[in-house]
Amino acid sequence: MTRKSSKPKVQLIPPSSYPQMLSKPRAARAMHTLRATDTAARAQAAMDEAMPAMRAAILQYVEEMERAGGDMTRLFEAAHEIRGFAETAAMVTTGRIAEVLCRYMDDITRAGKPLDATIVTLHVAAIARAARAEDDNVRTSEAVASELAALVAKRLSESE
Amino acid sequence: MSEPGFENLKALIVEDNAHMRSLLRALLNALGVKDISEASNGQMAIELLRERKSDLVLTDLAMKPMDGLEFTRFVRNSDHSPNPFVPIIMISGHTEKYRVEAARDAGVTEFLAKPITAHNLFARIAEIVERPRAFVRCDGYFGPDRRRHQNDDYAGPWRRKDDYEITEARS
Repeated sequence: MTRKSSKPKVQLIPPSSYPQMLSKPRAARAMHTLRATDTAARAQAAMDEAMPAMRAAILQYVEEMERAGGDMTRLFEAAHEIRGFAETAAMVTTGRIAEVLCRYMDDITRAGKPLDATIVTLHVAAIARAARAEDDNVRTSEAVASELAALVAKRLSESE
Repeated sequence: MSEPGFENLKALIVEDNAHMRSLLRALLNALGVKDISEASNGQMAIELLRERKSDLVLTDLAMKPMDGLEFTRFVRNSDHSPNPFVPIIMISGHTEKYRVEAARDAGVTEFLAKPITAHNLFARIAEIVERPRAFVRCDGYFGPDRRRHQNDDYAGPWRRKDDYEITEARS
């Protein structure tokens, strides 16, 4: 197929010309498996089984984040792990606050601006409180998460 | 009992977080995938790929000493790559646009943002099974076609100055 002449050539290799992950008959069976309700049930059971260990891991990362002090690289790495799977461990608010913190740190660092220690400290405290709340007090934590997100948005717009 | 389809598939999980590796393994098991190897970084994954064939790779982005981007570039471009066409799903909490674009430009097949759910992971796998993408080889890139939606009847105007001649080729 020629779209436009001159210019460098691009080689297009169609799926029929390279080895596929599954043969056609197996692909059809695989799609059936992917859509089957018992597959979803098995997957949910796997998620449920993994949850206690993941919650314990989140709490370890929270401690790691608190121990990081002024080491922002270490703090970011711990916060990044928390945002990565807090929601998978049903710690939705914890994950959401960690996400806001990571975005703030990433945006500010890329802009070459200094991090505001107060903002970082507020987020670390809020993440720790949300993670340790036995009942994951959603209403209070959501309010805190929203306030922090608004604060970060304001600071980021000021730094532009 | 697992339904047939995935039972002979060989998968490779590249992830530095042991909990996430364990969860991904469990989700693949739920599909019937049993032959799964694990690596905690890109360098280890390359060694594993040389030792055993893999039909599907799930990789994290941020890892040390070799991250998921470098690993993907090796798989796609190295003369020593055992399978440059292997489907690669990158799973990462780094969802900023520039990072997703970097993953795309490294040659990943699919990008899955954390937090992962079974539904989202299975949707990416279904995409690979049901709608395998053409591969593109050009200056500076080898990997799945980065333009997913292509209209063969489209006669222009071209979206880019460098829209160039496309030749179908046998690999």
